[in-house]
Amino acid sequence: MSSSTAAERGTGPDPAAMAALDSHWAAAPTLRNWFATVDHKRIGRRYLVTAALFFGFAGASALAMRTQLAGPEAGVLSAREYNQLFTMHGTAMIFLFSTPMLFGFGNFLVPLMIGTRDMAFPRLNAFGYWVFLFAGLFMWASVPAGAAPNGGWFAYVPLTDERHTPGLHLDVYTLGLLFLGISTTAGAINFIVTALKLRAPGMSLNRVPIFVWAIVATAFMVLFALPVLNLDNALLFLDRRFDTRFFEPERGGNVLLWQHLFWIFGHPDVYIIVMPALGIVSAVLPVFCRRGIVGYPLVVFSIVAIAIISFGVWVHHMFATGLPQLSYGFFSAASTVITIPSGLQIFAWLATMLFGRIVLSVPFLFVVGFLVTFVIGGFTGVMFALTAFDQQTTDTYFVVAHFHYVLFGGAVFPILAGIYYWLPKITGRMFDARLGRWAFWLVFLGMNLTFFPMHVSGLLGMPRRVYTYSGGLGWDALNVLATVGAYVLAVGLLLVAIGVVHALRRGDPAPDDPWGGDSLEWATSSPPKPYNFAVIPRVRSLHPVWDPATAESTGPGADEDRILAEGRRTLFTSEFDGRPERAVEMPEETLKPLVAAVGLLVLFLGLLFAWYWIAAGSGALVAGTLATWLWPPHRAPEEAGMTT
Amino acid sequence: MSERLSPRAALVGGLLLWFAVLGGVSAWAVHALAAWSIDELACEAGHDNLAGFPLTGAIALAVLLPAAGAAAALAASVLAWRRVRPNHGDGDERSTGRAHLLAFVGLWLNTLALAMIALGGVAALVLPPCQR
Repeated sequence: MSSSTAAERGTGPDPAAMAALDSHWAAAPTLRNWFATVDHKRIGRRYLVTAALFFGFAGASALAMRTQLAGPEAGVLSAREYNQLFTMHGTAMIFLFSTPMLFGFGNFLVPLMIGTRDMAFPRLNAFGYWVFLFAGLFMWASVPAGAAPNGGWFAYVPLTDERHTPGLHLDVYTLGLLFLGISTTAGAINFIVTALKLRAPGMSLNRVPIFVWAIVATAFMVLFALPVLNLDNALLFLDRRFDTRFFEPERGGNVLLWQHLFWIFGHPDVYIIVMPALGIVSAVLPVFCRRGIVGYPLVVFSIVAIAIISFGVWVHHMFATGLPQLSYGFFSAASTVITIPSGLQIFAWLATMLFGRIVLSVPFLFVVGFLVTFVIGGFTGVMFALTAFDQQTTDTYFVVAHFHYVLFGGAVFPILAGIYYWLPKITGRMFDARLGRWAFWLVFLGMNLTFFPMHVSGLLGMPRRVYTYSGGLGWDALNVLATVGAYVLAVGLLLVAIGVVHALRRGDPAPDDPWGGDSLEWATSSPPKPYNFAVIPRVRSLHPVWDPATAESTGPGADEDRILAEGRRTLFTSEFDGRPERAVEMPEETLKPLVAAVGLLVLFLGLLFAWYWIAAGSGALVAGTLATWLWPPHRAPEEAGMTT
Repeated sequence: MSERLSPRAALVGGLLLWFAVLGGVSAWAVHALAAWSIDELACEAGHDNLAGFPLTGAIALAVLLPAAGAAAALAASVLAWRRVRPNHGDGDERSTGRAHLLAFVGLWLNTLALAMIALGGVAALVLPPCQR
């Protein structure tokens, strides 16, 4: 495959400007700067590593559960331990792994792909990461304490109210998710503003990379969906702690209100998880087919359609709750129609493969693994859109099989493809391809061996969330297969981790563009400089790196208004057409995001343990930190971007 | 595309384009929320009418009015898509290319929205409102 370096392309302004850029953007490698960094690349890497750590915890929980279920009446875990592990497994995979991992890719890649120097709000970005880290630790710390959430990842009432689940378990769940929601919301706002205001000149909406479209659509979905979950969790916390009655029918509440609110968030959340992953596929697959994606406008349409329609399908999670059948009809219609845009993307990728010249590299193998498993998961998803089938299989292992095909197939395979694809860019090191191929085959075989038998055990009536079962029900062999598959899968994932560590320690230096990619991150060095681009490119096509005119725009003779070496500055452009507006000053390293996040951690701990004075005090600390954070700095009008 | 538009024409054109893009899905959102909430809340309360108006009629209105809105948005998106074509020799190529993409996205969004409203209408035709 072709590769190139910035030096070969002749990019870069004069040495004096490069030195000025370095002095404004590079941070000294001190302990303070490690905590105070606002660099989107460092924050993105931290998201990736932290989410991978939480994935490891959740995966270990899954292995323990599969060991317990390997045979009937096993005694590896008690019912109490099993309930906490399956709840934390689901909650962590959904909230602490998938979305943060994909936000990590977004953090690292979006500014690079759109040709800018950082996220729009770098300090908010750092704050989002610290809050994510503390919220994850807040929830995982409850496991060794024996107080982990234990009501399933969707925590249905009345099972999860104070009468039926006393103790801190569900308080950890509600407060942990409220805490985490602050990070996710901050990240979403940052992605939207970054993508709308910081795109390189010339990058009109019809030239935006699909991955960026996917991240922005996801961010909008987060902004509309997450407040509903936050409301739901706040109401449950109030019910449990202060004896309000939102979910108690005998005192005027409504037990279905939890489910409605949860799934108004929950179904869009499936796409919040899958959408950026599909964006990764749309970034990786065309590069290894040596052509642009087929049907770019249709793929954009598909992303927008899914982002909107996903808000109108939530009742298909409630087809067994006894609502009027006509109500089901409205949601069944939307649930069926949403398969059209999802299917369109599949056909766009297949056509790209058909018309391209395939290079069978490790990232591409994971993309193919995604296609196979996601289509199977999508197929069973269509089955659930049919009310009659849904009512027969609800709460069985068929559902477990379906959503693991969708989420493992639809998110983990693309994430693994993304790790191998962008590892050279992120670390500046190449990975061992042979190790990568072994990892792929073990993950692919292990995943299918784990989850495919669950379709059958589900159809044979095995209910989900049981910590054990009686022998002789026809489920024994299927459970043994699933457990063996889980261990094979774990070995495959371990090989991925070993491959990353091996690349970091022993990998060959990576060229700037090892795959011959088309988007702007491949026009920077590997790993990128602190300022990303010495010259902000002028984009002239959908495939800027394959387009000589765009490449020339970063060569000698570039305008001063795209070098911006006099300060820590980047360029604002118009939302739709990417027309240059003005240069803006970007903030420097600061500890305020970390202090605010620590304050929030103490606030939520105070609420958890009913130390309300401590919670109030830390709330004041957070407010004070935010006030100093937002206090306007004393700067000259030029520095503040008031004049041109 | 080289002649300059007046601010008023540009505003009207912009609003029409956004109607062409998001009109259909907005109509579908109104349909889904109105039809579902009318059906579920009235049936939950044991009523077969809504302020004296038969429940079936109210649901029919919650289908037909949004369907008309989605159809209008679809027509607007077809018009916009046909009229705004990117011309690569033109200085405004970025704007027209972007508008063409948005009109294309709107065209298919409106088609899906109309299909979902129509399927909801079929359900309303064949299922009694409060059957469980």
